[in-house]
Amino acid sequence: MIEELARAVVQFAVAIVATICFGVAFQAPRRHFVSCGLVGAVGWVVYLLCTDLGGLSAPVATLIAAIPLTALARWFAIAHKAPITLFLLCGIFPLVPGAGIYYTAYYLLINAQALFAARGIETLKTAVALALGIAIVSSIPLPGQRRRAPAPPDSRPPSSGT
Amino acid sequence: MNDRAMELVVGAGQTLLENGSEVSRAQNTMEIMARTLGIAGFHVYVLTNGIFASAEGEGPDAAPVSAVRHIPRTRIHLGRLEAVNALSRQLAAGQLTLEEAEAALARARAMPVYGPRRSLLAGALGSACFGYLFGGGPAEVVTAFAAGVLEMLIVEGFGRAGVSKVFTDIAGAAGCTALALAARGIWGAGYLPSQAIIGALMVLTPGVALTMGIRDLINADYLSGTIRVFDALLVAGCLACGVALSYLVANALLGVPL
Repeated sequence: MIEELARAVVQFAVAIVATICFGVAFQAPRRHFVSCGLVGAVGWVVYLLCTDLGGLSAPVATLIAAIPLTALARWFAIAHKAPITLFLLCGIFPLVPGAGIYYTAYYLLINAQALFAARGIETLKTAVALALGIAIVSSIPLPGQRRRAPAPPDSRPPSSGT
Repeated sequence: MNDRAMELVVGAGQTLLENGSEVSRAQNTMEIMARTLGIAGFHVYVLTNGIFASAEGEGPDAAPVSAVRHIPRTRIHLGRLEAVNALSRQLAAGQLTLEEAEAALARARAMPVYGPRRSLLAGALGSACFGYLFGGGPAEVVTAFAAGVLEMLIVEGFGRAGVSKVFTDIAGAAGCTALALAARGIWGAGYLPSQAIIGALMVLTPGVALTMGIRDLINADYLSGTIRVFDALLVAGCLACGVALSYLVANALLGVPL
C-alpha cells in the first residue's frame, strides 16, 4: 500500500515535470508553468489509477482521465483569465496517444498488418475518447459564467458607418 | 477606418490560429472584435490554415472590404495566444482604442521565444520523463535524455538551416533511434531500446495535432479537422520512416534484431 502510494507520488511529480517541459516547447508563459503541470499530472494519475487498479482499457481510462483534467484546466482558465487552450494543450500531453501513433506507423512500415490494425484502432479510439472528454466538460454551462453578449442572428451592428 | 479595424481583426485571428487556437475560438474572437469595433456586415470563414473575411465598405458607394490570409504551419506560442485573448477581452470592455489595440497586437506578435539552450534542456528532460512514465528503468531514462538532446540539436540545427519539416522529422527520429540502439553496447541485456526511443520521440509525435483535429471534427469543423488529422498522419509517417531507417541500418551492420 505504502509502496503503491509512493509510486503514485513519484509518477505525479514526474508528470508535472514532463508537462512543464512541453509547456516550454509550446512557449507557455512562465507564470502558468505550475498550473499546466498540475493539469497534466492530474490527468496522468487518474489514467494510471484507471488502468492499473481499475483494469480499464486505455481508451476508457483516457475518457475518464480527461474529465478531471479539463475541469481543472477550465478552473485555471477562469482563475487566471487565460484561454483554456493554454492549459489543455500542455496538460493533455501525457495522455495523447503519441506512442500509439508511432507504433501504428511503425507496424505499417515493417508490414505487421495485424498489429498495425490493432494499434491503429486503439490509437484512434484513445484520441476520440480524449477529444470527447474535453468536449463534454468544456461544454457544460457554468452557473456564474455569463456568456458575452450573444451574437444577433445577423451579426450586423445597426446602421454603423452608413 | 473600416480598413484598419479589419486589418486588426484579421491580424488577431491570424495570430490565434498560428499559435494553436481552435478554429471555433478564432472565429468567435474575430466576430466579437468586429462587433466591438463596429465593422458593418462583417463575415468570416476560418480554416486551420486560412482566413477569409469581408465587410461592407464605408459610405453608400464604397467597395466592400475583404481580407484573405494564408496561415502556414508554424511553431505554437501559447504566450502570444494568451496576449491576443487578453487584447480582445480589453477591447470588448472598452479599455482600448483602435491605436492601442494595434500596438498591443504588434507587441503580442513580437513576444520572445525561449532560448535554444532552454528548449534543448526542456526537450531532453521531457524525453527522460516520458521514458520513465512509459515504464522505463534508469538505463532507458538516461538514454532517453541523451536521445532527447540529440533530437533537439537536430531539430534546432535543421530549423535554422531551413530544412523542410518532413526531412527534419525523419532525421530527428533516425538520430535518436540510432543513439538508443547504440546504447545497447553500454547497458547490455535487459535494456529495452524501444522505451527510450518512444520517450525521446514524444517531443515530435503529433498526439496533440491528432487530438485537436478530432476536437475540430466534433465541433463540426470538418475541413479543419481533416487538415489537422492528415498533418498528424504525415508526421507519424515521417517518424516511423526515420525509426525504420535506423533499425534497418543497425540490423544490416550490427545484427540488431528488428
